Amino acid sequence: MSTPALRLRGIRKAFPGVVAVDGVDLDLTAGEIHALVGENGAGKSTLAAIAFGELHPDAGSVESNGTVGLVHQHFELVGRLNVWQNVLLGREPRRGWRIDAAAARERVRALSKANELDIDPDALVEDLPIGAQQRVELLRELERDPSILLLDEPTAALAPAEIDGFFASVTQLARRGTAVLIVTHKLQEVIAYSARVSVMRRGRIVAAMPTAETSVDEIARAMVGGELPQIAQRAQTTPRPCLTVHALQAGSAESGVTGIDLEVRGGEIVGIAGVEGNGQTALADAIAGVLPYRGSVRFTPELSPKRERSRVETSVIPQDRHVEGLVLNFSIVENAVLGRQNRPGIRRGVLLDREKAREDAQAIVERFDVRAASLDVKVRTLSGGNQQKLLVGRALIDQPHFVLAYNPTRGIDVGAAALVQSRLIETRNAGTAVLLISFDLDEILALADRICVIYRGAIAGRFDRANVERAAIGRLMAGSQ
Amino acid sequence: MRRRSLGNAAAPLAAVIIIIVLMSIAMLVAGTSPLDGFSALIAGSLGGRSQIGETLVATSALLFPSLGIALAFRAGLFNIGAEGQLLVGALLAGAFGGSVTLPPFLAIIIMLALGAIGGGLWGAIAGWMKAKLRANEIISTLMLNFVAQYVTLWLVTQWLMGPAAIGAETAWLPNTYWLPTLIPHTRLSIGILIAIAIAVLLQFLFTRTVLGYELRAAGEAPEAARRNGINLPRLTWLSLTLSGAIAGIGGATIVAGELHRFNTQLSPGYGYVAIAVALVGDLDPLKVCVASFFFGILEAGGLAMQASAQVPKDTIHVIEGIIILVLAARRYVAQRSERVEAGSL
Repeated sequence: MSTPALRLRGIRKAFPGVVAVDGVDLDLTAGEIHALVGENGAGKSTLAAIAFGELHPDAGSVESNGTVGLVHQHFELVGRLNVWQNVLLGREPRRGWRIDAAAARERVRALSKANELDIDPDALVEDLPIGAQQRVELLRELERDPSILLLDEPTAALAPAEIDGFFASVTQLARRGTAVLIVTHKLQEVIAYSARVSVMRRGRIVAAMPTAETSVDEIARAMVGGELPQIAQRAQTTPRPCLTVHALQAGSAESGVTGIDLEVRGGEIVGIAGVEGNGQTALADAIAGVLPYRGSVRFTPELSPKRERSRVETSVIPQDRHVEGLVLNFSIVENAVLGRQNRPGIRRGVLLDREKAREDAQAIVERFDVRAASLDVKVRTLSGGNQQKLLVGRALIDQPHFVLAYNPTRGIDVGAAALVQSRLIETRNAGTAVLLISFDLDEILALADRICVIYRGAIAGRFDRANVERAAIGRLMAGSQ
Repeated sequence: MRRRSLGNAAAPLAAVIIIIVLMSIAMLVAGTSPLDGFSALIAGSLGGRSQIGETLVATSALLFPSLGIALAFRAGLFNIGAEGQLLVGALLAGAFGGSVTLPPFLAIIIMLALGAIGGGLWGAIAGWMKAKLRANEIISTLMLNFVAQYVTLWLVTQWLMGPAAIGAETAWLPNTYWLPTLIPHTRLSIGILIAIAIAVLLQFLFTRTVLGYELRAAGEAPEAARRNGINLPRLTWLSLTLSGAIAGIGGATIVAGELHRFNTQLSPGYGYVAIAVALVGDLDPLKVCVASFFFGILEAGGLAMQASAQVPKDTIHVIEGIIILVLAARRYVAQRSERVEAGSL
């Protein structure tokens, strides 16, 4: 093995209140794809920023053998400019005092051809699909010809087919001698494309091995530091659907839904798979009753003797916990009753029963493992995972007939996500109808009894758990048949 | 996190310190030692029974609109129309009390109720405009202040002018309609007790009732509130109506308690000063009582200070204006840094 292209030794970086990176050694080898995985908050992005030179470590050394390029998790493109203008931004070829557009176009075309990144240099960036924008981002870094390339969650917004294309390009690049570091939490990709994998937990590298010698399970265990809970089997469903959606139209032409039919029975989880921006938000908001719609959304009370409530009780786990779900300046107790403030038992005449609110908050904190100094701390002070567990706990505590869960585990660590998922399963097993909308196909595959793929505001395909085929779902998510 | 909560607790104190420092500077500019100035201010506001009485009269006049404003602000609505709401409430109370003969107790109750109705109606207009037409309540409540000012002037000069009126004022209330005096030989009526009772009720509303809970949720996080079964348009008009009603009762107590008639000049801007009072009081009803007393001292002692320390009384209003700016800026900065914080994670 040759000398490493990038060599990190004893890297330490602390932020107020937390040591993000705590004594990390890492070597990147030319021509090799190296995956860096870990839970949210494990320190991966901080380490990448240090390697790139964006952050200075408190201790340790960074030695790089060549130039370093970084592709960010969030795109940093100018939507109103076209592809070549973005790729060459600030380094445009000139003729006299003018930009030489022809030469620029040619340069970008040659570059995209050499790297097998299919892209039209004259396309306006804001018109491109997300996958193509990601290629523009990559192209821009390649144009600087880095010998080391850092990719921070590069596939977060991509459809499965786009992911394959993206990795084909990255593999090409590595083959020609670039050292690549991919920061990710998608373990399937790690297994499929990387040569080495390093696992971070709480600021340290806890495992490092050749990918060929490990498995998804082993990596996942290293990430969470323990066994992942198993997902339970499907329960009995009710004969009649609890939620019936018919010919639903809502939202704008670009991001709305155009005629969706859907049924969810008590005791099942129906998963809506799809790439972000294909109408999921409009679907969720229409069902939640906060967006006007055409068509019908009907909740049917269940007739089984076990549940005699005639009113259908529903609850929502919204996508954005900060804006849509929680009142950050309220305490845990106050947040535990939000949306439930008019339910009998909590409302007494004009009064809010504070004892009951506190009992419920205590129950949520215990059952959903919300870690907080006390029930009276502001929710703002909790970590994202604990906020989410509180939000999910509130939605499930009354054992409603129907639950809408929109990306219930997005942006939280693996341990919290596993807890949320197993509580959703338990709720299903107790007879609740669950509609799960998620951008994470793995989550849908793990939880859903039936799967609907949403593409451009319509259901592109339906699968039963028995006949589910990952590749077919992936193709439908990307818009091909 | 810790730092922000500390900042919240320290803000009213900081505001008081800023006021004292600015006043000291004003006194130095006027060529008086701050020590003399402040002793004049204290003597003029707390130096004797009648001085304390005047201070509490001002406290009471400020407390009503401040509580109304605190209610609206907590619901996320910037009601700066307390001045107009107070004026309309006072006019209804004065017009009724100066012209109708009823058993005194009943008349007093009706005057206070009319104050609430007048102020509430004025607040409700802005609430309706916001809920139905999405009109910004800052603009509408401010504009309604001017409407109230000229409408009351017009009504009084056209139809309601009292027989012995000197300025634009209604007939005097029969003295059986006057609110009982709280401290003998002062102008202080039991109106201040009503204000304190309202403060306690508001505290109860915020901490114990579903309505108060929904109102605070709507103020803190409107989108989360909307998505959790809280009817925002209803809360908008309801809280602006209640807010106006409280200011309106304040207007009625000035009429029935101190002036004993309605005069178009009855408020030297209580409704505006009350914005500063509510903010200094951290929008907390009980702290607003303390803040009102502090501003009552400034209002009542200002004249004495002007006489003996040659610092114009208007200086106090300038300083109150600065306080509003400082506190408003603080809220704005806090919101921005929150946004930055959320974005960076």
